[in-house]
Amino acid sequence: MIKFNEKAPYAPVEYLYDVEEILYKGRSRFQEIIVIRNPYYGRMLLLDDVVQITERDEFFYHEMMTHIVMHSHPEPKKVVVIGGGDGGVVREVLKHKTVEKVFFVEIDEEVINVSRKFFPTVSAGMDDARVEIKIMDGADFVLNRKQADIDAVIIDSTDIIGFARSLFTTDFFNNVKNCLTKDGMFVTHTESLHFHKDIVIEIQEVLKKVFPVVDLYTAPIATYPGNWWAFAVASKNLSPREVRRRYDISTKYYSDEIHRQAFMPIGMYEKLMQRKLEW
Amino acid sequence: MIKNFRIEKHHAGIVAKATLFKCLRYLDKEVVETPFLLIDGEKLREKVSLIGRSIRNSTVFYAVKANPDREVIRFLHALGTGFEIASEGELELLLSIGVEPAKIISSNPVKSLKFLKLASTTGVNRFSFDSPDEVEKLAHHIPHCDVYVRLSVPNEGSEWPLSKKFGVELDEALALLCRARDRGLNPAGITFHVGSQCTNIYNWNIALEKAKTLWDMAEKSGIRLRLLNIGGGYPIAYTKSVVSIESIERNINALIYDKFPEDITVHLEPGRAVVGDAGIFVTTVIGKAKRSDENWLYIDVGVFNGLMESVGGIKYSYIVETSKQARHKKQWTVAGPSCDSFDVIDKNVTLHEPQVGDIVLILSSGAYTVSYASEFNGFSIPKTILI
Repeated sequence: MIKFNEKAPYAPVEYLYDVEEILYKGRSRFQEIIVIRNPYYGRMLLLDDVVQITERDEFFYHEMMTHIVMHSHPEPKKVVVIGGGDGGVVREVLKHKTVEKVFFVEIDEEVINVSRKFFPTVSAGMDDARVEIKIMDGADFVLNRKQADIDAVIIDSTDIIGFARSLFTTDFFNNVKNCLTKDGMFVTHTESLHFHKDIVIEIQEVLKKVFPVVDLYTAPIATYPGNWWAFAVASKNLSPREVRRRYDISTKYYSDEIHRQAFMPIGMYEKLMQRKLEW
Repeated sequence: MIKNFRIEKHHAGIVAKATLFKCLRYLDKEVVETPFLLIDGEKLREKVSLIGRSIRNSTVFYAVKANPDREVIRFLHALGTGFEIASEGELELLLSIGVEPAKIISSNPVKSLKFLKLASTTGVNRFSFDSPDEVEKLAHHIPHCDVYVRLSVPNEGSEWPLSKKFGVELDEALALLCRARDRGLNPAGITFHVGSQCTNIYNWNIALEKAKTLWDMAEKSGIRLRLLNIGGGYPIAYTKSVVSIESIERNINALIYDKFPEDITVHLEPGRAVVGDAGIFVTTVIGKAKRSDENWLYIDVGVFNGLMESVGGIKYSYIVETSKQARHKKQWTVAGPSCDSFDVIDKNVTLHEPQVGDIVLILSSGAYTVSYASEFNGFSIPKTILI
């Protein structure tokens, strides 16, 4: 059987996947897009040779990326999803009855097309009437958004040192803040707490210069090197640790109980930020 | 608009992801005039906490010559690091920042009179030496100071060997320690330097063995030493990974534990290891040319204004700004901006083709770069920016 050897430049480990079939291979303006099938994970989406999602476990990432901010906000109506061209986050956002509008901002239309074709269960929400697809750089979208009417902004991008870097600048974070309502929430994935805790800290610090409330939660992601994945969450005043709405949607991993335990204990968080966690 | 850089697997072993991330964030935000040197403060913090950790009774004195930028020194001072200096200029810099003289040593075996005069008025009182004349100078200017003799040791395996200029053999070293004692100085110990960027771990074995021999010889002559200054030499990764500081220090610590008294004081003088891989030179392509079969890439920093060590054999890793469309790599000869034909940084460098005006990042360039730079040919000395 042929193998796929993942080469994320900064991972100190390399994963090797069995490949039953290469279903798609193409190059967009931005990146190389590949879809393979693995006997355990099912279909897998690779961007520039880095695993993004797999059919089997995509819900861990998509649920945890989405439902923390959606449940800590009292009534999320307008949501912006930047990146996440596979549609997984959009699907999760739409599970919330309060949602009236989703701006789905993806820079690479090819990822959307590939997901529609090869990941129908992930891309399922894209055609919902509440969803408006915008093919553009998410940084430009928030820059040009003049009113503060967004309840949640969710960033599901590729690696932070690649071209998705425009979604990690201080200007970008400021622009996000400017388009959020007073209870608005922002979440972005950061890095592995095992391998790149210094970057996790760095992003927390940068966000603290922009938002009054900044916090961090984690989720276990089997296919991302370092697995113990950190999400940075920020708001203008509400703590994301609190579940402010009844949990009544169908999920596989997320629940109100998981919501509360996903955050780092306060003492550990403080130690992390003081750079006293040594590993 | 963010800049697009070619980051590849081989870069990952050279520059930390967090350092690169900070550097790229800086470049995305600032409109900057190149060339300049970015130094990642967090990386400095990490290196300072790492170095010396595995050697008991050790104190770290940062070798100021590696990068004497005021902000870098201030940052290191705040972290509690000591400093190793060689000149009145370095001493003035430290004093102006408020570094206590008790945190300063000088391992320059041949000191200028100006330096000694300034040192004598400020209370700096630990010096290396390796000649009778230096004993006389020290006895005259700074009576009763602590002195440690510079022993010559092999520098094979170091990319930047030092020993030929300084250091004496065992018998002469002993005679010098005795002479220092007789002239009223305090013969405190021994120093050596295995050579900068030392990738041969056995250099420390040989050096410590030799130091032990001298230690015992001194004892027989009635001089009880207590200080061992093991210099610097820890390597950093330029184009390939190097033996880790932990492994080097575990080896050194075991040897010291084995050979020397329990109450020994150990001094370390890292320079490159502290600041080298915290630094990224940010440069711009100013021209390209094809001369017979050779592709030339001209950037705005060269041998004279920052990359002097390339002449001595240091090879750097480069990250180039290119459009996503540039798929093919070429072999390049990388040259600096001056008109001197000596100003060639590297040959046979495989890179994606950048355009004139694109940025080229030079990794692991925090040490012995800007501190060597001149204004030859009218090119200014690059600034250092601590981020």
